[in-house]
Amino acid sequence: MTSIDVREADGGVVLAPAGRLTVVTAPQLRGAVAERITAGDKIIVVDLSGTDFVDSSGLGALVSCLKSARQAGGDLRIVAPTEQVSMVLRMTNLDRILQPRASIDDALRG
Amino acid sequence: MSERAHRVVDIAATLESIDVVQTEFDAWWTALGEEKVATRFAFETAVVEIAANIVEHTHRAEGTAGRRFCLELDATDAEVTAVFTDNGMPAVIDLSKVTMADIDDENGRGLALAVAALDSLDYRHVDGRNIWTLVCRR
Repeated sequence: MTSIDVREADGGVVLAPAGRLTVVTAPQLRGAVAERITAGDKIIVVDLSGTDFVDSSGLGALVSCLKSARQAGGDLRIVAPTEQVSMVLRMTNLDRILQPRASIDDALRG
Repeated sequence: MSERAHRVVDIAATLESIDVVQTEFDAWWTALGEEKVATRFAFETAVVEIAANIVEHTHRAEGTAGRRFCLELDATDAEVTAVFTDNGMPAVIDLSKVTMADIDDENGRGLALAVAALDSLDYRHVDGRNIWTLVCRR
């Protein structure tokens, strides 16, 4: 089961899903991001350093959250994808719209 | 083929079964002692996508009550193989026509990811059973 650590930060919010982000757990990420957008956060940073594995549903959740953040006038940025996550981002071409930022601070600053 | 290279998972086709498949895969892969992480990530990605496809197809077509699937994981020195068998409705799939979804799409990447990650992916409906065969060279 995935747990998502949510941390307020200067300039936005950082969400860190731990473990697997799959069809089983992707709804948790969608819910957590929707909650933060409703709360008024504009910059959503998804720290993937503790995310071991992402499947197509997890990728779909990231795309959905990115769209929601942008529709609300903000953005979603990812940081520190692990090896499997980088692989599926490349294979699906999603690394074009979800380009990993160098650090959480960098992602928060844009 | 060594005993440790063979593993069978027989499970009800529920969403939670995908977590079980992944945990069993992890134990199987660890026992194999294969060090190429790229092969692991590619194969595991495909196995999870096909498991999810079976569960979603079963759920959509007829509900999950009473439906099960079986996964057999095998390895030789040359390749790793996963065979999924289920008794659900036949899937209407032409794997030669599977393409990757556009980057803005929220769905439609599962089978394309599996096809891209594997050296071969085969689907057949034989004697009332769906049989998916996944192969990755080591």
